[in-house]
Amino acid sequence: MSRTRLIFAWVGVVFIAVMIIFPVYWGVRTALVDNYNRQLIPTELTLDNYRFLFQGGRFVDNIYNSLFVSLGSVAATLPLALLGGYALARFEFPGKRYSIVLLVLPLLPAIAVLVALIMYVRSLGLYNTLYAVILANTVFSLPFAVWMVRGFMLSIPREIEEAALIDGCAPLAALFRIAMPLAAPGLIAVGIFVLISAWNNYLFSFAFTTKTPLQIVPAALLGYITAWGTNYGGMNAAATVAMMPPLIFFLAFQKWFVQGMLAGSTK
Amino acid sequence: MRSTYDGLASSSKSGSGSQRSAGTLSKHILPYSLLSPTVILLAAFLAIPFFSLFYYGVHKTDLQGVSTYVGLNNFVILFREARFLQNLQATLLYLVGVLTISIPLAYFAAVLISSNMRGVGVLRTIFLIPWVLAPVVTALLFKTMMDPTSGPITMLLKWIFGQPVYLTLTPSGARLVIILHSAWRSFPFEMLLIAAGITSIPGELYEAARVDGANLWKQFRYITLPLTRVQLFSAVLMISVWTIQDAEGVYALTQGGPGYATEVTGVRLFKEAFLYFNISLASSIGIALIVLSVIIMTIYLRILGKGEAA
Repeated sequence: MSRTRLIFAWVGVVFIAVMIIFPVYWGVRTALVDNYNRQLIPTELTLDNYRFLFQGGRFVDNIYNSLFVSLGSVAATLPLALLGGYALARFEFPGKRYSIVLLVLPLLPAIAVLVALIMYVRSLGLYNTLYAVILANTVFSLPFAVWMVRGFMLSIPREIEEAALIDGCAPLAALFRIAMPLAAPGLIAVGIFVLISAWNNYLFSFAFTTKTPLQIVPAALLGYITAWGTNYGGMNAAATVAMMPPLIFFLAFQKWFVQGMLAGSTK
Repeated sequence: MRSTYDGLASSSKSGSGSQRSAGTLSKHILPYSLLSPTVILLAAFLAIPFFSLFYYGVHKTDLQGVSTYVGLNNFVILFREARFLQNLQATLLYLVGVLTISIPLAYFAAVLISSNMRGVGVLRTIFLIPWVLAPVVTALLFKTMMDPTSGPITMLLKWIFGQPVYLTLTPSGARLVIILHSAWRSFPFEMLLIAAGITSIPGELYEAARVDGANLWKQFRYITLPLTRVQLFSAVLMISVWTIQDAEGVYALTQGGPGYATEVTGVRLFKEAFLYFNISLASSIGIALIVLSVIIMTIYLRILGKGEAA
């Protein structure tokens, strides 16, 4: 690589990296200093904002709700996506071409369907429960999750399963004993996709639960934004808690996650 | 991937050819039963609400829950309303702004992370961070930076222009802020798709171009850009659809203000449905949003179809 190209590339790298990291850095900084501190690199740190955030224990409830909703959504989505994705990858059957609908569904506005879904959830008696939030997360991430599993299954050679089938292995056993372990990275990618989407989404929580003790973390954070005015320290303390799980899971499983997203985004 | 899939399809077809006389359902009972939970769930909680949206859209529901058929009246009211036309206008500006800023940035970043420079893996990780954070979290981060009294961006602008520039307090400033925020959130995903396209371009093409004396810009213009066209279109399609539907990020950042300056269609829908519980109006806006999404999808698929045929 020539010298000018290298300089050009590094200027670009630094520019984009600063642009991405600075907002996150400033949020973390703001959470760790008192609200009158204007230093770029603070000299005095404090945990007062976190003490303020956790007083009364309501925010702990929000965290618990978030965990329950995210893990519940993964538990509900993953088995369904495994079965559906396997069927689409391994079998030919009439009507299969309509499975392309699964690629179109994530492009339709969830917020529009949500309006009607509220009425529906009310009549089922699930309004103001965390189960309604899990249900919405499952329904809206399922199409893409099925498509992702399908993509991963297609990349696994079929011969091993065929050999097992010839040896008298039952089709379902071939799925659970052979295809599933081989597709494990893909299933983890799907699980993380569902987990992060459910953890990050405040729309469903806002739509289905009116009581603050039932809110998940992002919904609680939205409430702070409209109620706390300029208490940026407190709000950013909550934001740092909210950004932790997605960042940790993304950093730990980045390679599989990115592969899965690409497999799900293409035919 | 494509060839494996075709191979599978043909092999299973030839395998089942001898039993074609057997009943379709019993022959395909396994894939159907594997898919049935997904199909039932999506039908019950996506398809039915989707169609009942159209029912609510042509009815007027009062507070007692009694609904009367009003035909297209809700839409007539909506499209005569100055506020809704302003919502549509704000949405269009938001969309154009986000694409204009994020696509060049995404190309630039995609070229960088597809190069053989050292530390590319770390770079890609950093570039993807905005994509995994919640909209409400990133909205707060931007709000903090642009606060009129304590935000570092506000102070930077004051230092540059010598007088205070309050981004979030003026209509055009607030519009710029929601566009910057959304472009910041959108570019990593676009970058991923485009980078996937770039890595599939054979290196010899660039070598040949260099031998012929093509500079960096020409290499980009005549090799990278045309050969990542499909990825570019998918990225533009998905980001466009998500941008016109966006409510979460914008609502958390500005609540649609000041005035209705940043009240995009998604935010209006959010307010009508979840704050004012005006279900008929919310349904009509929802239908408008669906129609808008379908129009965008159709336009892009048309362009893509023509591009592939040529």
